[in-house]
Amino acid sequence: MTDTHCPYCALQCAMRLAAGVDGVLAASPRDFPTNRGGICQKGWTSADLLRAPDRITAPLRRTTDGRYEEVTWDAALDEIASRVTALQTAHGRDAVAVFGGGGLTNEKAYALGKFARTVLRTRFIDYNGRFCMASAAAAGNRAFGVDRGLPFPLTDLAGAEAVLLLGSNLADTMPPAVQHLGGVREHGGLVVVDPRRSATARLADDGAGEHLALVPGTDLVLLLGLTHVVLAEGLADTAYLEERTHGLDDVRRSVAAWWPERVASVTGIDEGTLRRVARRLAAAAPCHGGAGAYVLTGRGAEQHVDGTDTVTAAINLALCLGLPGGAGSGYGCVTGQGNGQGGREHGQKADQLPGYRMIDDPAAREHVARVWGVDPDSLPGKGVPAVELLRRLGADDGPKALFVHGANLVVSAPDAGVVTERLRGLDLLVVCDFFPSETALLADFVLPTTQWAEEEGTMTSLEGRVLRRRAALAPPPGVRSELEILAGLGERLGSPVALPTDPRTVFDELRRASAGGRADYAGISYDRLDAGEELYWPCPAEDHPGTPRLFADAFATPDGRARMVAVTPVGPDDDLRRDAPVYLVTGRVLPHYQSGAQTRRVARLHDAAPAAYVELHPQLAARLGIEGVEDVRVSSSRGSMVAQARISADIRPDTVFAPFHFAGLARVNSVTNAATDPISGMPEFKVCAVTVEVAR
Amino acid sequence: MNGEGSIRVVVVGAGMVGIRFAEEVARADRAGRFEVLVLGEEEYEPYNRILLTELVAGRAELASLALARPAGATVRLGARVERIDREARAVCVDDEPVPYDHLVLATGARGRVLRVPGLDAGPDEPLPGGVFVLRSVDDARGISAAALNSRRAVVVGGGPLGVEAACGLRLRGVDVDVVSFAGHLLDRDLDPEPGRLLAEAVSDLGIAFHGDAALAALTHDDRHVRGVVLDDGRTLAADLVVLACGAVPETALATAAGLEVAHGVVVGDDLATTRDPAIHAIGDCAQTPSGVAGLVAPGWEQARALARRLVDGEAADPVAVVLDGAAMRLKAAGVSLVAAGRKASTAGGARVLTMSDPYARRYVEVVVDGDALVGMTCLGAPELASSLSVQLGRPSVVPLDPLQLLAPSAGQGDTAAGSPTTMPGGTTVCRCNGVTKRDLVAAWDGGACSVDALATTTRATTGCGGCTSLVRGIADWLQVSDADADASQSRSATREPVVKGA
Repeated sequence: MTDTHCPYCALQCAMRLAAGVDGVLAASPRDFPTNRGGICQKGWTSADLLRAPDRITAPLRRTTDGRYEEVTWDAALDEIASRVTALQTAHGRDAVAVFGGGGLTNEKAYALGKFARTVLRTRFIDYNGRFCMASAAAAGNRAFGVDRGLPFPLTDLAGAEAVLLLGSNLADTMPPAVQHLGGVREHGGLVVVDPRRSATARLADDGAGEHLALVPGTDLVLLLGLTHVVLAEGLADTAYLEERTHGLDDVRRSVAAWWPERVASVTGIDEGTLRRVARRLAAAAPCHGGAGAYVLTGRGAEQHVDGTDTVTAAINLALCLGLPGGAGSGYGCVTGQGNGQGGREHGQKADQLPGYRMIDDPAAREHVARVWGVDPDSLPGKGVPAVELLRRLGADDGPKALFVHGANLVVSAPDAGVVTERLRGLDLLVVCDFFPSETALLADFVLPTTQWAEEEGTMTSLEGRVLRRRAALAPPPGVRSELEILAGLGERLGSPVALPTDPRTVFDELRRASAGGRADYAGISYDRLDAGEELYWPCPAEDHPGTPRLFADAFATPDGRARMVAVTPVGPDDDLRRDAPVYLVTGRVLPHYQSGAQTRRVARLHDAAPAAYVELHPQLAARLGIEGVEDVRVSSSRGSMVAQARISADIRPDTVFAPFHFAGLARVNSVTNAATDPISGMPEFKVCAVTVEVAR
Repeated sequence: MNGEGSIRVVVVGAGMVGIRFAEEVARADRAGRFEVLVLGEEEYEPYNRILLTELVAGRAELASLALARPAGATVRLGARVERIDREARAVCVDDEPVPYDHLVLATGARGRVLRVPGLDAGPDEPLPGGVFVLRSVDDARGISAAALNSRRAVVVGGGPLGVEAACGLRLRGVDVDVVSFAGHLLDRDLDPEPGRLLAEAVSDLGIAFHGDAALAALTHDDRHVRGVVLDDGRTLAADLVVLACGAVPETALATAAGLEVAHGVVVGDDLATTRDPAIHAIGDCAQTPSGVAGLVAPGWEQARALARRLVDGEAADPVAVVLDGAAMRLKAAGVSLVAAGRKASTAGGARVLTMSDPYARRYVEVVVDGDALVGMTCLGAPELASSLSVQLGRPSVVPLDPLQLLAPSAGQGDTAAGSPTTMPGGTTVCRCNGVTKRDLVAAWDGGACSVDALATTTRATTGCGGCTSLVRGIADWLQVSDADADASQSRSATREPVVKGA
């Protein structure tokens, strides 16, 4: 019997793994603040992952005829090391790149960053969190001086009288989290902003709140309009703004140009609704005697070319109402991947070292280099964000080899057709995975790794709380942990830097590396976690209780004040036109996680959602001559996908939706746009212009 | 070009169009070649003139009108340009010459003052007490202050500004008469039928509309207004009069400088004045081949086009000024109205669909040309108005049956559920775990005869718990139907409707 957490999303539901009456290991929920004893079908069936029939149990090498042969670990690691050496000798250290994932444990994420910077000494490392967390992270750092998705425990939401939820479908992505919205729904204060009437939008039905089905890509304009109303109607928390913020004047002037009627003509949300929502949020704010209000963003609002600015606008609205750090109030970003929080703190990002230190900060380099026992000058500089990294693969000045850990780029990257070609064109592609994912199937080497219930480690959940992941069973013979793989490569590449393979040892090193950084884990230990302590970072010392709530007294900026930054909408990079008259938005379905590499292998989840679909409004269906379940082709200037039509009045007539968990012809990321936010490097997954037609 | 190599652009007017132009230059000028100076006559920071009626209505605080100063440009306030010296390429401010390479006139317009008895003092004389135009912050503040002591107001003009001002004053508790020489309100934007309904809508608020009536005179004593006289002899008492009867392009500087001036400063499609290619005019002061802007949207378009032309030398397409059918979104407390594009009377051959609901003061009209929505009028239907206005002019948005445009369409899917008894077997009860009613019935029949047992067997309720009451309802219904079945016949017969002849 082992107490651990779910392998999937950032809610990290607590679960127990135990053998059932049939002797087979099964997962069941444990009571825990974030999931309150609930888990969804993904969690219930998670133990099936451990028995998936196509588990890889030996290193695979691609043969000249394109098939795979099993080889020994020594053979695989020797050959990879010699090819890496040859490439770096010929083209320099940056000829080898690393791509990580937000599902890796803190220990693995840390070790991967260290491996890249000390063994490979390449500046080219980034990770798939760039696809999901980067804009909220950039905006959080800009405003608050720190980026913790929820700077408060999730359970705090229960007391709110109003919650503005933009672009998050948590009823599908992390269903047990819905429980925390019970209180605000009782108050009628749940406002869901989404072009679709998603499962989450439906939570606002029956007087529980309201759903704003805005035009895709106009969240920023909506937020400017709400802020306009708050300031114009004198609803702002002037004392708070005076004492705790900078930049109000710029923001006030920038929203003066976004009066409600103008906002209505862009977003499709009428001025009466806009005023009502602004007043509802204000009434719930502490300054007006309310019990509390929250503004929360998800990927729907963030995955845009102006995603960082959209989150900034959400933060500006929250600041105008005095929410961040206020009683029972705040701004938060709903993190997606299991370790989406920890994964972005410990060195997988192109510009970061562990503890959320910046790689171009000499003091940060000095500190981390000392922990690693290397010369600070030997550390590489800033790399480039994920989309740019992928764009450079195989180019004259770009990496010739790539290590992929915990990511399935072929399915999850924007404009995935092009990315697939770039991966194919590499001199060396090494993929660490437990299943033959679509990306693994392009690799020169596939290295089989342990999965969640076979390993020890820590994960940092969406609320910044550090959790223990525990092993319930031994990995299959032939499988190695990523820590072992990196150590084996380090040795073969002649690195003198120690790469420990025991997770606890790695975590203790991570604690030292993060000490004094923005995300300070110094005081968090396996012993404290195993004793049941609830530890939220920053936790600078073993006798420190951790920090469940940030910002009560000050923000993490040099002068302790939040910075308000005026922002301007840029609009979709790929907007509607005569030959692409329909918007495409993408998202998730409840039974699947991320690229589906795991959940599509679980029979019950596969049966619940066996294939992609294209959701479209009856009016659009009628115009296209679609009557029921025909296959439709959705095409952009980049590529197309084909999936079955699903006619539903839950979506706007000018928009289609497709889930992104599926591969092959049904891969929606063949269609999506790789244009990125200039600040965060996050791609614009959430809106592009397409044509829709019956597939013949 | 001056000695330092940068190109000096001087903008006369720090209104919405002048400011926007400065922003657009900064955006387009990546090389940093341009030096932009904006001269504003008012002492106030640049502000959003469109929101002045919100000030009158008391719905906005003054500070919320201030606009961002354009990045990369210098703004001088309280700087009145006395004249333009075209020879020297300089404007004169406080007797100091300010040189330019390009001069952009964005002087806007002033409120029209009808020269009738009682208002016949010279153009530079102050208006009688209690009489205002509504073009500036000072005007709006004056009106707001006067409204405190006013009992009856007359608004002259039945256009958007007049209706917004009337609704704003009404919100402040002042009785209002609106006088217009047109037969119905917003005659430029609306056909008579919706115009008539709009008059009824404002009448419900307590605003009386007098159409087909021209202002004949204004009476005042001690220099304060007492009322107005209409051309049919009627008199209306008033201690506050707002003149909202049009705007006159501000052309004095241009005239004095010898530029061609008709109604406004005459410019070509390139927005350059006809007699001096170094001088341009944009916004409400400019008369382009297609007319005078009069609204902010075409003014902003002109600002953008001119900025690109100056910076990139880009020969952009002429910016057409839409005089008929420009989007009009009324900002009036208590009335929702959006009209844009074509209307029934200007539809040409296009298809017009109309829904008129006089009882609710509601009127919706859409004009459809091929697969595009080319016109809309929405009175009293704000949600529909906003959903239609984002579709206007976009390709391929019209449903096969355009009647569907008149009904709300987004996010209107069916609500699942129903009672435990009537919901179909295939209905998902527990989304988190994908459990249908049929699964629950099967589990019950398999011996899971309580909510807890159903949860253990099917995992329903074990995710977010939102379906717990529904599962309890199904359990209760199964309990009752089992009892009935025990008393009479087989289980399934009581649960499934019997289909005759099946």
